[in-house]
Amino acid sequence: MTTTAIVTREPKKIDEEPTLSDADALASLSDASLVARSADGDTVAFGVLIRRYGPHMRAYAARILGHGDGEAEDAVQEAALQAWQRIDRVDDPDRVRNWLFRIAANKALDRLRRRHPHLDLEAVVDSADDRPVDEVVSTRLQVQELARIVQALPDAHRAVWVMREIGGASYAEIAEATGMPQATVRGVLARARRRVLEQMEGWR
Amino acid sequence: MTDDERFGAFTLEELSDYLDTDRTPARPDIDGDPEAAAALVRLESLRTASRDLLDAEAAEAAGADAGWIASVLASVRTTAHAGRDIPVPDDDPASTLVVTEGALRGLVRALGDEVPGVVVRRTRFTGDVGTAGGSVDVEVSIAASADGPVHLRAEALRSIIEDALAAHAPFVVRSLVVRVADLIEGGRP
Repeated sequence: MTTTAIVTREPKKIDEEPTLSDADALASLSDASLVARSADGDTVAFGVLIRRYGPHMRAYAARILGHGDGEAEDAVQEAALQAWQRIDRVDDPDRVRNWLFRIAANKALDRLRRRHPHLDLEAVVDSADDRPVDEVVSTRLQVQELARIVQALPDAHRAVWVMREIGGASYAEIAEATGMPQATVRGVLARARRRVLEQMEGWR
Repeated sequence: MTDDERFGAFTLEELSDYLDTDRTPARPDIDGDPEAAAALVRLESLRTASRDLLDAEAAEAAGADAGWIASVLASVRTTAHAGRDIPVPDDDPASTLVVTEGALRGLVRALGDEVPGVVVRRTRFTGDVGTAGGSVDVEVSIAASADGPVHLRAEALRSIIEDALAAHAPFVVRSLVVRVADLIEGGRP
């Protein structure tokens, strides 16, 4: 490498040279190592991280949004770009999966708010779709059934339920992400849980 | 239906929280309440199905992710993290030469990738980074595979970084520390 190459303002050049650090070579690294390397500017390491968790981030955003898969894809793209911009600020690199999920949830919630431009999420929690799921399902179909029930929840119920039951977010985290008071989060979650449970009556 | 409807003596929230803690410590009052116990069984299978929900969604759209991931990574490559500008000693007052931290980190990464069993995690420059020819401390954290002596791997890397920085860095290396921060399971990645 010449001195001229080193004084360039474009560090990219170095990244693009073929080295052993291709995605395959980095795939066995721990999350924490990938986060550290990404924070240092390695786009290949970030690519490994996003390939590792991207599909579940998209699935998570899609479950929060309930329908409109294009929306989930847009949300998760924004989330991944924001993750790259903030990757040097990850508090706990071993739990980067949760950190990525949190960003994906926030981007999905932005879209939910846009669906209700004149209302906040808290105000729409009771606009429930009360259709019962009358089909009695076999155990094998539990997951698909649950997916249908969750999809039919009102937007805010669904978002809170998914963040809690799938994303494992705390009440405080959900409150911060949605802008609802924690007491409201508890109430919304209780109603969402009850509805899911009631509609799953068939697979006792 | 009200929010405080109870299953036996307990609310749905209490039962859910109990499950969240994997029923630890055990709550004989809940476990011994037939209605509550029955509700717990249903909640538990619901939990299992909830966890599977994400996998199901991810699998359903298998292959749908390659597109958006490629487009994100294309954007990411155009927004490299350059870091701080480090001035290069230069006698010409009319010109300013800098090398970015990002470029030097890229160099250290590339060097690390040439050393068997080593992957560079982070490189930090501290000290007089803002002055051309200043004294700078360099700390490199690495992941090393444990199928060989880790200290030899670290030393091999330290040695080639030392040579490369002496040749290319626009500062004086006051100290150079290579820290093994992670072990790679199963040999070289």
